[in-house]
Amino acid sequence: MEMLLYIALFSPLVGSLFAALFTAQKKTLIAGVVPSALLFTSFVASTLLLIQVLQGNTINVELMTWMATGNLYIPFGFVIDQISVTMMMVVTLVSTIVHIYSIGYMDHDKSFNRFFSWLSAFVFSMMVLVMSDNFAGLFIGWEGVGLCSWALIGFWYHKESATWAANEAFIMNRIADLGMLIGIFLVYWNTGTLQYAEAFAIMPTLDNSTLTMIGIFLFIGAMGKSAQFPLHTWLADAMEGPTPVSALIHAATMVTAGVYLIVRSNELYDLIPNVGLFIASLGAFVAMFAASMALVNRDMKRIIAYSTLSQLGYMFAAAGLGAYWVALFHLVAHAFFKALLFLGAGNVMHAMSDELDPFKMGGLRKVMKGTFIMMTLASVALAGLFPLAGFFSKDLILEAAFAEHHFIIYSVLLFTAGLTAFYSFRLVALIFHGEERYKIFGIHPHEAYKFMLVAMSPLAILAVIAGSLKMTYFEMVTNLLPATEYHIHSHTTYWIMTIGTQLFVGLAIAFAYKKYIGKVKEDKEFEKRFCYKVLFNQYYIPHFYDEYIVKPYRELSYIFWKQIDLKIVDATVDFIGTSLYKTGEVTRGVQNGNLSTMLKWMVAGLAVLLVLAAMFTLVATNADFLLSVYHDLGA
Amino acid sequence: MLDHILSILIFFPLLAAMLGFVVNKDSIRAYGITVTTVEFILSLWLWYAYDSSVSGMQFMENIELIPAFGIAYILGIDGISLFIIVLSTFITMIGIASLTDTKRVKNMIITLLVLEMTMVGVFASLDAILFYVFWELSLVPMLYIIGAWGGPLRIYASVKFFLYTFAGSLVMLVGMLFMAYFYYQATGEWSFSLLEWYRLILPESFQYWLFAAFFVGFAIKVPMFPFHTWLPYAHGQAPTIGSVILAAVLLKMGTYAFVRFSLPLFPDAAVFFMMPIAIIAVIMIIYTAMVAYAQEDIKQVVAYSSVSHMGVIILGTFALNVEGISGSVFLMIAHGVVSGALFLLVGVIYDRRHTKLMSEFGGLASVMPRYATIFGIMMMASVGLPLTINFVGEFLSLLGFYQQSHMITLLAGVAIIVGAIYMLSSYKKAFFGEVTKEENKNLPDVNKRELVALIPLVIITIWLGVYPKPILEPINNSVESIVQLMHDKAVTPEAKSAIPNLIKDDKLSSNMEAH
Repeated sequence: MEMLLYIALFSPLVGSLFAALFTAQKKTLIAGVVPSALLFTSFVASTLLLIQVLQGNTINVELMTWMATGNLYIPFGFVIDQISVTMMMVVTLVSTIVHIYSIGYMDHDKSFNRFFSWLSAFVFSMMVLVMSDNFAGLFIGWEGVGLCSWALIGFWYHKESATWAANEAFIMNRIADLGMLIGIFLVYWNTGTLQYAEAFAIMPTLDNSTLTMIGIFLFIGAMGKSAQFPLHTWLADAMEGPTPVSALIHAATMVTAGVYLIVRSNELYDLIPNVGLFIASLGAFVAMFAASMALVNRDMKRIIAYSTLSQLGYMFAAAGLGAYWVALFHLVAHAFFKALLFLGAGNVMHAMSDELDPFKMGGLRKVMKGTFIMMTLASVALAGLFPLAGFFSKDLILEAAFAEHHFIIYSVLLFTAGLTAFYSFRLVALIFHGEERYKIFGIHPHEAYKFMLVAMSPLAILAVIAGSLKMTYFEMVTNLLPATEYHIHSHTTYWIMTIGTQLFVGLAIAFAYKKYIGKVKEDKEFEKRFCYKVLFNQYYIPHFYDEYIVKPYRELSYIFWKQIDLKIVDATVDFIGTSLYKTGEVTRGVQNGNLSTMLKWMVAGLAVLLVLAAMFTLVATNADFLLSVYHDLGA
Repeated sequence: MLDHILSILIFFPLLAAMLGFVVNKDSIRAYGITVTTVEFILSLWLWYAYDSSVSGMQFMENIELIPAFGIAYILGIDGISLFIIVLSTFITMIGIASLTDTKRVKNMIITLLVLEMTMVGVFASLDAILFYVFWELSLVPMLYIIGAWGGPLRIYASVKFFLYTFAGSLVMLVGMLFMAYFYYQATGEWSFSLLEWYRLILPESFQYWLFAAFFVGFAIKVPMFPFHTWLPYAHGQAPTIGSVILAAVLLKMGTYAFVRFSLPLFPDAAVFFMMPIAIIAVIMIIYTAMVAYAQEDIKQVVAYSSVSHMGVIILGTFALNVEGISGSVFLMIAHGVVSGALFLLVGVIYDRRHTKLMSEFGGLASVMPRYATIFGIMMMASVGLPLTINFVGEFLSLLGFYQQSHMITLLAGVAIIVGAIYMLSSYKKAFFGEVTKEENKNLPDVNKRELVALIPLVIITIWLGVYPKPILEPINNSVESIVQLMHDKAVTPEAKSAIPNLIKDDKLSSNMEAH
């Protein structure tokens, strides 16, 4: 058992180090194959662990001490329970597929070896994140995935936009990490431990305001990783990285770490329903907010990124309402179909010589049959049509919101479901149907390598069948998570809701097809409208950040340096130094060695001394008198 | 031999330096490397022989020098000073091993050996006068290194460095004399022995004044805002080796002295001044990080980043609990390793291009991939990524201070954001993008001599980040005894409550208070 745990955890690390050995050399296939094989090993180990957990065994191991000082004791401890094993399955499965896919995708890249080194390092960090049994271990993984994400977004480091996006992602995550860190401090000073089990056991005894603080600060950490408003801008910019990275990190795994944190801390958030409601509201808001930006965007990867953001909003909405198992279920289902969608987008990009504007594509289904089928499947799953994965998971979230009587959240999420269907099929229609607009750009699209399609197929299958695993999953995770089943009391209401949702989604798809399947005209009139501009410019939020945060920070830094540090602080020091020096310069005449000058000074000094002596005698002899005057003044 | 190992550690480099004058110029480099390696091995032996379960002073030596005034030659180390001594010998060793072709190399190596003596001396002294002597002596070699091998503004920079720190130390000396005088008044005997001073309980008003006097000396050395302006000049002008030692070890004298003198001698004053100092620390962290971001010269970025990190160390020290102080002592070591490495790395590129302006570089990652990798690791350590050495110290320091103040820690925590901003943007400017300058297209990657210095630093950075226990445990034990001493000595109830009592048994502690 323990052996399996360590194999699952450390195989990606070994793979990463192995690939790192070759980073200085030319592309070698082995640097991609070995990490992939090791990841598959990790996947197999995770599966065996899953079987163990399904039989009701959980494991908790301690590798060694990390930090111990004062009362603080932090080990490298790992836990295999229902939650972490679910995450491990998702992480290892998707990353194995992405690794194999990348062997084909990165085929022509000269930094092939470096890519695999970082990609495997990411998987290792992610495994640490989900397997740790304490907050500090979680934080190691948390920062580790941030580092790998930085390196992979900026993978093509000669591109200014890529390195800029990498830094933006890292710094924005750091802002949230401060919240996380403060949350960890609060946990430590209030419970005296950072181990999940012990800390959560003590939490019910703490007062409500402390718990609220802990809950809020931990959630701030989650907001950064999961790119929730207002820390969301980095996710769309992160699309500068290679597409497999977007599929693995910025869709399936890393961005869901925030949701994982909330699910993991369910015992805490159960105690503070107010914070939960805030999380749910923010989630619902982000779901709609992100979906609206996806409606008009003209960059294929960004559209999918906004869709990820929107789906993360759904997960938070569920988690905030206390439906943790539903949130985790949507997380799993989403990982499958969203990774599939991204990998399909990668195929399209390759076919189109890295063109990202879907308006320049069209009619690709003729040349890319496999990709077309898989992306359509993924989009159907994303839209939530029966019987694909998205239907089950998304419908559950809607039901949960309805059953908990949060009708505003419910309506927002329902409306967003329509938006989701629309932008997904807008994309499909633009890429695969209609006229072949790419011809005027002289591009000759081709289907991806066969093994890449084969590698993607497990995801396609899971996107179709994941819903049927619902009951097994439910029985497993509810050992740990609150087992609330969200039943709508009246059967009629339930059926009206479900069928209504399906019809609504279906209509949205039909509308998208109708609008974009035929001849796509550049609708200049529409593009001049205010709401189009707002959406296209992402509500001007990146602009706002740039203008009112980044620029002032830079200018203020410059002022601090040039004006304050050099002109005030340092100048004061130099002034003291030079004034001492000048005083010496001026008074050196006193000691110039000229006898007559020195005699003059002597006389002057004597005179001053005499005056002082006289004054002192006067004061001393008339002390009584002076004192009485002084007292009179005081009275 | 073990009885006198501290004396040997101090005077062996001095003796070697004097013998160095007769060594042939061609073999002086090998001589220097040999001497510092022997010294380093001796310090490792010290570590090996050190009993980490004992929290008090070990390897004590006590020779009376001027009995009439209680001045003695007292040496001794505990878990706090042990690792700073090992750090000093280590940094000197790799500094000399990686020394690039220098003019008057013989003088340089002799100077470095003398500097090594003063550094070990400062951290091993347990007598205030002895401490003061080594403290001031350390200025001289540094003055010479900056003044003789520095850049165009070297005279200004070295004189500023010397006078500024010297002026501060004089105030500290006055404080020491008063302290000895109070000791005389209380006991009828003169003493400068630190361990005897520890036993003296002073009224709070005395503590405030003495604390302030010591503070001036230490704060300039650290350097704390607003006394930090000598540092950018010193780093800007100093040769690589000078900057490495200055940042890695000399700055630690100030922070070490806070732990060794200010806290245990004046616990009430430490509590009284905790908030003002914490505010200064926050200013150091945020303000200097922003100044670092504005720099155009990569060496100045590292220099200002040192001040910013020192802010975290000060904050941890004044957390006045075991977590915070242990963290700050650990961060002293960590910062020594990481900033030393960063200055070495800046030196690598300076040797090749004779400029440190970031605008002159760009795209170095593709020209010098190994260099970029090592720089990247050290940058991430400086940013405080978990599993690097810096994180342990930073995390514990902030964690410790959180017990004292929520708001201050929140503000100080901004360190992890602003630190990332200046480091990542500098890295981007120098290493990413296209190679635009013709001169940069064929730069050679790091050579063997440079790797000799850098690889061990990388290994330490990761090893102690993953497994800090070998260092953290002895530090923790010694810090616990200091915290307990402070708690027992504290006069005011505020101080009693701010400094935790580590002895859980109430009866026992009340007994101790009665005594």
